[in-house]
Amino acid sequence: MEKITRRKFISVSLGGAAAGAFVLSGKAQGAGNFTGYPEGMGVLVDLTRCIGCRTCEAACNREQGLPEPALPFDDTSVFDQEFHGGQKRRTDENAFTVVNRYDQAEGGPVYRKIQCNHCNEPACLTSCFVNAYTKTKEGAVIYNSKVCVGCRMCMTACPFRIPAYAYSSATNPVIRKCIFCYDTRLKYGKPPACIDACPQGVLTFGHRKNLVKIAHERIRANSDLYVDYVYGEDEVGGTAWMYLSGVPFEEVDFDVTMQKKPILNNAQDFLSQVPMVLAIWPALFLGFHRLSTRGEEDGDENSNLSNREESQS
Amino acid sequence: MKPFKILAFIVLVLAASLPLSGQARNLELPDTVMLDQLVHLYEGAEFDHEYHTEIVDDCTGCHHHSVGIPTTNGKCAKCHSSEDVLDNVACVDCHAVEPFSADYLSKKEADKDAYHQDIPGLKAAYHLNCLNCHIEAGGPEGCEDCHERTELGNAFYRSGSYAPKGDKPGSAH
Amino acid sequence: MRSLVNNGYQPVDSPVDEGTKRHWGFVEKLLLGLTPREYLSQAMKNPLNWVLGVLFAVGFPVIIYRFVFGLGAVTHSSNDYPWGLFLGFGLFVMVPLSASGFLLGTTVELFGRKDFKPIERLGLLNGLLGYFFAVIYLLMDLGQPWRLPYPMVVAWGTAAVLFLVGWHVAVYLTVQIVEVSEAFFEWVHWPMAKIFIKRITIGLTIAGIILSTLHQGALGALFTYAPSKVHPLWYSQEFLWIFFFTSSIYAGLCMLIAVSTVVKKTMAWRCSDEWLKKLDSQTIGLARGASMALITYFVIKVVGIAHDNEWAYLATGWGQWYILELAVGVILPLVVLGYGIRSERVGIVRLGAFIAVAGIVLNRLNTALVTFNWNLYPEIPHLLETIIAVTVFGLYIATYRFILYRLPIVYAWNPLPLEVREKATETAAVPGTLGQHSAAFSDVSLLD
Repeated sequence: MEKITRRKFISVSLGGAAAGAFVLSGKAQGAGNFTGYPEGMGVLVDLTRCIGCRTCEAACNREQGLPEPALPFDDTSVFDQEFHGGQKRRTDENAFTVVNRYDQAEGGPVYRKIQCNHCNEPACLTSCFVNAYTKTKEGAVIYNSKVCVGCRMCMTACPFRIPAYAYSSATNPVIRKCIFCYDTRLKYGKPPACIDACPQGVLTFGHRKNLVKIAHERIRANSDLYVDYVYGEDEVGGTAWMYLSGVPFEEVDFDVTMQKKPILNNAQDFLSQVPMVLAIWPALFLGFHRLSTRGEEDGDENSNLSNREESQS
Repeated sequence: MKPFKILAFIVLVLAASLPLSGQARNLELPDTVMLDQLVHLYEGAEFDHEYHTEIVDDCTGCHHHSVGIPTTNGKCAKCHSSEDVLDNVACVDCHAVEPFSADYLSKKEADKDAYHQDIPGLKAAYHLNCLNCHIEAGGPEGCEDCHERTELGNAFYRSGSYAPKGDKPGSAH
Repeated sequence: MRSLVNNGYQPVDSPVDEGTKRHWGFVEKLLLGLTPREYLSQAMKNPLNWVLGVLFAVGFPVIIYRFVFGLGAVTHSSNDYPWGLFLGFGLFVMVPLSASGFLLGTTVELFGRKDFKPIERLGLLNGLLGYFFAVIYLLMDLGQPWRLPYPMVVAWGTAAVLFLVGWHVAVYLTVQIVEVSEAFFEWVHWPMAKIFIKRITIGLTIAGIILSTLHQGALGALFTYAPSKVHPLWYSQEFLWIFFFTSSIYAGLCMLIAVSTVVKKTMAWRCSDEWLKKLDSQTIGLARGASMALITYFVIKVVGIAHDNEWAYLATGWGQWYILELAVGVILPLVVLGYGIRSERVGIVRLGAFIAVAGIVLNRLNTALVTFNWNLYPEIPHLLETIIAVTVFGLYIATYRFILYRLPIVYAWNPLPLEVREKATETAAVPGTLGQHSAAFSDVSLLD
């Protein structure tokens, strides 16, 4: 028997809710803990292995047909770039993954790769009012630019600040982000380009559920090397891309205050009120109306005259 | 298939298994080993095996437990304490060229009894082992110190004659 | 205008030109019964027109520039701050300030408070224009504004709060257009349409309060998607939508007081004596309602801090900013309004209303822009973005004034057509005559 996931619940109840005229609210109540598709793939990023060679960036650029970069991909001076008062590089419309360097007081620098984490319960998806996002059964969070209106709600909602906007385009600006190489690789059972390219085994590709085990096993077997935490195992309901680190995660700009439950849950408190308001308000206010006007003629005869008459009568 | 699929290893598995079956201790060690199963962005690396046997005391650092020397790693020694020389002593014998292919993953998944579920691929094994040791021991660390970049590699990294023209500012925001 | 009125000019307020005893033409109505030359000359004398003229001369080219070269050309095109002034101000500020529509509709039509009848139409118009221009701001902001109807017809993201906002604002905008069209139908003299609107008023009003409750709240709930970006003091998973809804109540009422004040000061010639006479008592009535909402809002804001146990944040710099927002935006207007109401000093009440409006602007900007990404870096809106935001606001003011000049919002339309009037003059002036004729007017057969 197939389990009804929250996502299914949402789409199933859409039909029913659609009948309920313009307010479609019921679907957000499929409260549950969707932990991703059982066969979903994932990636374990081991920061202790990364040497900052940026090969993954080059691979991504080629695979996704992105424009020529400003500097060659073997140029490590990009690690010294700073934006907006000390911000390191981030993903944008022309770079779906970037690596940043974090110098350490002791030992060599730590490098951190960022890209879309492909959440189990993506905030971008749940916040999108045209349903432009899809979480595929393979684990990728993909995006349909054909229906995107460009409200940029997903950018506001993404807790990892990943989706970027093609602000440079006037006629067809779209959201751009890592799609797990879904179109060209993932759906054919192949790992994304960055993973094939990585020389250091920083990126381990596999079924997410196996990767969780591998991650904990790696920590257990090398307890002196790793911080005992798998970032992404539980964050915002779990992400397909997870991280191991040898330094405390907050030191390499991970948000360690991130909530564990999916972002969708936050909005549910409000969304669950919607059907109540819809059901209660009409009777309640009609009741108030009857009470406060006490069966006076509903003002029809008088009030279709303007207030001039009223003031004179 | 795209010619440029970055590391869709056009697998040139040139049976680079070391000609070593038999007795390691009775010395039939190769002087050099050509590591060229993965040639794509870089040429193969010529590994000076003889030199490394001179400067490294412990073969198990690279060969784990396969060459007849009991491993010094306590954790591994729990199982791998025998002094037998295995039939397969080359890296590629255990470290897969395509460690994330659907085939390999499903094979791994099927083999529930296998203790080692987390074996790096061949490329990762080379680099993790070689480079980490070079960093510790002060060996050469640059990519091209070991293997030359191919023309394909230059195009891939947008480097050399493929470097971006003009001085656009960094695009990252 | 003032000098024209002093010289005996009376702006159009009925279908009949009293001077020539004939019906006004449409264009004549548009020109307020003035000749084009007269109209132009009074417009030139109005300094606001010059200000708006300069603003539009600068702003419209910038708006065109935005659509030709994209958002990247007029904003900082920031991936960290996806929303700037267009939504931060245009949507999140304009919508609460437009809550007056459903509030006055509810008060007058549902609760039967006919004492607020004279200002109801201004409340409805304020609501309609606020929403309409919030949508204009939205069009400035959307990457692909021509796809605005997509969430209605092409793809439904039904689980999204924004989906609810989109639908509700669209439907509510329609409701408000219908509500305000009553005045329009009077003005163009389509009594049948007006009678139809009257019949469905209660339904419209209830739809209005449902839609408003939900989308005013939904604007707050939007930020529950960004728990790690909005500062904890401004964030509340459970209550944010209630904060937004409650504050929209006093925002709408105070905005109505503020607008009516501006109308009274700048276009008294257009207001009927009746409207002006009753304004003060209504202002105090509105202020009473607003102060109840203000007190409630203050209490639940404190409850919100207690609920999430955020007291420690109050000692930080952000905490001081928060306290300042509450002190200046909530407590101060509460004190001023309270004093004004008690002492029945309407001027004080009006001052309080202006402060409360400013407080709402501050709160919404704080939530959407200032404290957003509080742990990242501050973003100052781009100059061109600011120019566009101000230009659209100027357009809002110009439209507002255009409608107030014409439609019977702050004056009463004298609906009697020529034939009825002539009869009325024949049957001598008896008290209540007008009333009788009005009754006749409601009899449709007489109208055609």
